[in-house]
Amino acid sequence: MTIRRVLILAPMLLILFLLQSYFWVPTYEEQTKGNPERLNEYIAGSIGDASLLNPILTADSASSSIENMVFEGLIDRDEQLHFRGRLATSWEVLEEAFFYINKNASIPGLAKADPQDVANFLRKATKKKNTTAPGLKISLDHITSISVIPARNYSVTRQIKGTDTGEQKKYIKISIAAPARIKLVLNRVDQDLFQNLSLFLGKDYFASFHGENYLSTDPVLKKERSAKYAGELLPATEHNPFLMFNLRPGVKFHDGHLFDAYDVKFTYESIMNPKNLSPRIADYEPVKSVTVIDPLTVKIVYKRLYSPAIGTWSMGILPEHLLNHNALKKEARLLGKDPNTFSMRQSSFNRHPIGCGPFRFQEWKSDQYIILDRFDGYWEGPPNYKKYVFRVIPDRLTQEMEFYAGTIDSYDVQPHQVKRLEKDQRFQSFSGTAFGYTYIGYNIRRKPFDDPRVRRALGMAIDMNKIIKYVLYDQGERITGPFVKQTDYYNHNIKPVPYDPKGALALLEAAGWKRNKEGWLTKDGNKFQFTLITNNGNDLRKAILAIAQDAWKQIGIDVHTDLLEWSVFIQERVNKADFDALILGWQMGIEPDLYQIWHSSQTNPYQLNFVSFKNKEADDLIIKIRQEYDHDRQVEYCHRLHEIIAIEQPYTFLYVGKWTAVLDKRIVMKTVDDAGQIMYEKIKPTKTGNYSFYFNKWIKLPEAPVFMDEG
Amino acid sequence: MISFIGRSVIQKIITLFFVSIVSFLIIHIAPGKPSQVDPMNPKFTPEVVERFRKEFHLDKPLHVQYLYFYKNLFTGETVSWKDNQSVLKKIWERFLNSLPLFIVGTIITWTLSFPIGIRSAIFRGQFYDRSATFLSYLLISIPGFFFAYVLIIFVVNQFHVPVIGMETFGIGDGASLPHIFMDRIWHLLLPSVLGATGGIAVLSRYVRSQMLEVEGQDYIRTARAKGLPPEQVHYKHALRNALLPFVTMFGLILPGLIGGSVIIESIFSWPGMGRMAYEAILARDYPIILTVNFVSAVLVLAGTFISDLLYLIVDPRIRL
Amino acid sequence: MNIEEKGVNPDFQFEAPLAPKRTRLQEFWLVFRQNRLAILGLFIFILFFCCAIVGLFMTSGPDPLFDPAMIRLQEKLRPPLAKPNLDSLRREEIPSLGFYLMGTDDLGRDVFARMLQGAWVSLTVGFVAVGISVLIGIFMGGIAGYFGQHHIRVDHILLTLLLISGTSLVMAHSIRFGAVLLCLTLAYIFYSFSTKNRSREKTFPSWAKVFRKNAVSVDTLIMRIVDIMLCFPSFFLILTVVALLPASIYNIMIVIGLTSWMGTTRFVRAEFLSLREQDFVAAVKTLGAGNFRIIFRHMMPNAIAPVLVSATIGIATAILTEAGLSFLGFGVPPPHATWGNILSDGKNFIFDAPWLTFIPGIAILIVVLSFNLFGEGLRDVLNPKLRERH
Repeated sequence: MTIRRVLILAPMLLILFLLQSYFWVPTYEEQTKGNPERLNEYIAGSIGDASLLNPILTADSASSSIENMVFEGLIDRDEQLHFRGRLATSWEVLEEAFFYINKNASIPGLAKADPQDVANFLRKATKKKNTTAPGLKISLDHITSISVIPARNYSVTRQIKGTDTGEQKKYIKISIAAPARIKLVLNRVDQDLFQNLSLFLGKDYFASFHGENYLSTDPVLKKERSAKYAGELLPATEHNPFLMFNLRPGVKFHDGHLFDAYDVKFTYESIMNPKNLSPRIADYEPVKSVTVIDPLTVKIVYKRLYSPAIGTWSMGILPEHLLNHNALKKEARLLGKDPNTFSMRQSSFNRHPIGCGPFRFQEWKSDQYIILDRFDGYWEGPPNYKKYVFRVIPDRLTQEMEFYAGTIDSYDVQPHQVKRLEKDQRFQSFSGTAFGYTYIGYNIRRKPFDDPRVRRALGMAIDMNKIIKYVLYDQGERITGPFVKQTDYYNHNIKPVPYDPKGALALLEAAGWKRNKEGWLTKDGNKFQFTLITNNGNDLRKAILAIAQDAWKQIGIDVHTDLLEWSVFIQERVNKADFDALILGWQMGIEPDLYQIWHSSQTNPYQLNFVSFKNKEADDLIIKIRQEYDHDRQVEYCHRLHEIIAIEQPYTFLYVGKWTAVLDKRIVMKTVDDAGQIMYEKIKPTKTGNYSFYFNKWIKLPEAPVFMDEG
Repeated sequence: MISFIGRSVIQKIITLFFVSIVSFLIIHIAPGKPSQVDPMNPKFTPEVVERFRKEFHLDKPLHVQYLYFYKNLFTGETVSWKDNQSVLKKIWERFLNSLPLFIVGTIITWTLSFPIGIRSAIFRGQFYDRSATFLSYLLISIPGFFFAYVLIIFVVNQFHVPVIGMETFGIGDGASLPHIFMDRIWHLLLPSVLGATGGIAVLSRYVRSQMLEVEGQDYIRTARAKGLPPEQVHYKHALRNALLPFVTMFGLILPGLIGGSVIIESIFSWPGMGRMAYEAILARDYPIILTVNFVSAVLVLAGTFISDLLYLIVDPRIRL
Repeated sequence: MNIEEKGVNPDFQFEAPLAPKRTRLQEFWLVFRQNRLAILGLFIFILFFCCAIVGLFMTSGPDPLFDPAMIRLQEKLRPPLAKPNLDSLRREEIPSLGFYLMGTDDLGRDVFARMLQGAWVSLTVGFVAVGISVLIGIFMGGIAGYFGQHHIRVDHILLTLLLISGTSLVMAHSIRFGAVLLCLTLAYIFYSFSTKNRSREKTFPSWAKVFRKNAVSVDTLIMRIVDIMLCFPSFFLILTVVALLPASIYNIMIVIGLTSWMGTTRFVRAEFLSLREQDFVAAVKTLGAGNFRIIFRHMMPNAIAPVLVSATIGIATAILTEAGLSFLGFGVPPPHATWGNILSDGKNFIFDAPWLTFIPGIAILIVVLSFNLFGEGLRDVLNPKLRERH
């Protein structure tokens, strides 16, 4: 019976056919040991794919890990976290400072305040050997030149945003009769300059300058409105710090084009171009101008004191010749799109990037892999690996299996896996402190979290050391404040909150909370209860959620927990400040700028100080820190700020994670010295928050080498 | 016939219109905003967020957004918010990746279900039938990802060959064509078998019940009574009539093209439709979610339409 | 009354016991008993049910016998049957059984306690979700099948549109305009009620007749809604909605319920369409029974069989769906333990602690299998066409 035979044979044949394919597949052994080419490629496993490969358009970690390979910035941080030059060979931080001549104020010891006289008066002061105030002396010593900008008249037109009333856009014309101005050039940045100068120019010399007296508006505006414009157009004093970068000559992009100062300017302009919707725009907003002095020198002037600005120039530099206006227009025409609306976001460059980093882009298959080849023309000498492969494996378990089989060289190892893999003879592992910390934040707007004693008691009830030991498998450290632990901004004198449930109860009792018959804490008849929330998808946070709930239950607090999907969590709860307490983490930059997260002006909805931490002294310090360019003084301010935060405990600082890398023992660092001698070194961790600092020197050897120090 | 086609096409278009409205509403009314608009990144200032909203037309009233979206969709201009790539292009790429998985899965389902179902109908109530019932239910009762992990760990530990991804990583350079082809088949094997388990269970049960129904008919009794060998009765007389409803099912498998399994695709690192849609949901990439939804609705409607047509053609009892 | 009459009539004496020898339930049981797999399924089903209820009592309350939330970090990842390390534990932390029957998880919680608690939660998820879908399904299917021939007039549609747009306007803070629309709606409803009560002979002007035209039949409307719902790929739809809504056990139950009623609707409608034409319905109708009495007393019991089958299998599917959602991180959020989230949490530790994966995995497998087999058995019994002839 044919039908019957077909019906039985067909599935059998199908199954046989499918199963025989097994014999064609290379085993793991063949792929790793049996494949000598494998030694020349480094394969990194990742959970998610990159979105776009353009450093100015993306902010996600997967994309930036590739961008760091393909693009190069002007500077970056060395292993001790100091700046070092990349595309820039050297740089200087200088300042130009301005102030308007105040006709109404009198200067002690100077009858008539003619601009020239003021300048001469200052010049004389700088030459004087001994001045009474020591701060003033230092400030004066750093002034290199003094000049006068004559008075001038001009006018500008401003648009009023028709915000609340929805009226038509209105334009106002502002005529300005700017008085003469003194320009000071300093050889360092000095935020106390004007404060010190006022010591001998007269206490109110700067404060009594009212810009609104020098401008008239059409139509006439209310006093506050015009004062606002005056503050913007005629500030009594102005700091203009600037950066001079000397660029490295002879650096080439992957397509052979020479890199020069115009590329730097272009990168800045692309970020600021509203059409590109760059997420980095906030970093560069303080920039006043970028000027190309010559093809290898670029001057960046800032509108105000903003010390974190230097760090922003580690941003990858884009090739101007491929992305400028004409190039984009050409591409738009080629694709048949409207050249006027076509922006860098649509360009195919974002999927075929060209930079001047150590690796050149080769191929990208969405959600599968990105392949980079080494760039032989790299200015620091080509990397040892021939290929860098970024492989997307969305599942952690299969990632681990692939790693174990040797088909990926690294992946984001979870703490419990480190424990197991460390024991394996085939692997080396090293770890270091990461830059991100995890915390429990309390909504200080709400009772009883407005009491620092309560916040401290809550922290004392949680046994952090136990969490670090058992949940993180020692892949974490205690942290006491918001600075990167391995920098000197971090105040190591501050002791972490101890685990002390009894002490916590005593503190709570002092705050009025007593245990009732059932063991719950109550105050004025109200039970101590609140909801602790966090986002889902993060197993560590989920574990801490359960642990904190349990720990607080032990001291009589009734805690509900909630796990929310990330975007709902942020949108509905964090941004609207609709929470009691939450578990979250911050990824810190090395720069100690805490303005957005800790300043009291940032407590409105949608801002990042969502716990509503407000402290006058802290506010001052935060401003001072971001205006200070001197490292030692910054450190001093940071230590004090750290203390305040530790006392106030707006967060319970839980831990700072450790990054851990587990790598095949055969991967080592290879360097060639001047004599041509090849040397192998063990890979060492650096402070930089990732292990791949010396990645360009890495190579995989056929056999694991034995190092002397291992004994 | 013509009037039937016309009527059902109009009906389907109206349905599609409502589907588009419903899916649009679900997505826009739900809390949470696209990740670009609402990230937890100190670098995003309110002005940047405002600009993104404007760019994505999120500041417009809902009905205007609706028109914008579907206008762009039909002119093929929709772009993903994540990477500015054309949504249709992205979906097409993923579709091509999902296609082999779907084809192999469907072939496995259909070729296995029929013999199993027919035999268990013939041996009804006997050991074969019962074990087939038990096994097929066993297969659909295992939580998919648990089964997948157990299978992967077993295969990798026993055979030391890669099973995840669409092909062995890096096989492209230097391997011969049949090698690459067979390698791909191997990588298809586990995910498509996992995807087919549910189908096999359901379909073989359905075949069994259809066969039983037909076997109870008088003409089968007649055939038996006139002394035909049982094999011929089963496989010729009964099977033919039992097959009728399955013709229509050909149309209904069409939507499976896009449904795909998110879970299996993420475990096996398969860059298919399901995973893309899932990631789009997480990032609130509305254009992708809505387009996938729209395309799948079109496929469902086309599927039912085809199955109606097939039924018309195959079953002589139905005349319009 | 038949029996009495016939009992009186001597002519029919031979056929006196016309009533079935066994009640329906007995007969049903007789057939069902022959399907050993289904019996097994039923047995496990009952066992599971008991476990869940016992588990509910033993794991809840202020001082439960088994505390599924008790964290003992130093006792993490202990294998099944391990004895606790008594030195490091406080008195209240020692497990009630004296050992960890199913081991401990990554936070040192007793897996046995969590499984017990999870049994109840998983069961609730399954039952409530299916309950919702069956209720909607019966309601929609019943209306489509019974009132299918009725028509919805143009003015009804306009009214609904007015109502919706009015409400949405109010919600979009354009309160004045919205309120006007809502008032208009109310006014029309009053108007139509009053005209209906007063007289039917009142003639409408010709332009108003447009509004009273029949637009679409109830049946068509409901079946189109079913079509629309079927256009969404179900798991994808559930995932979208669950991912977008705040995670909670109720949302998951409701969403699974709301996305799976279409099958039931179709069954019920088909049954109703055929039942409606049968004589007994006509008989009840002539006796003057109301629509609802006919539907619920006479038709529903006859149409319930396929619903029951699909509900049983639906519970199994709901448990699996919840497990799948848990895998993607959208399952029932803590503190509720479900078998699905125990399983998906455990899978990270599959190499360190395989029992965390295998215990819930196999438990789900057994329970879902038992539901499926039971459902299959029911289907066989309730479908007379498939019954074996004896």
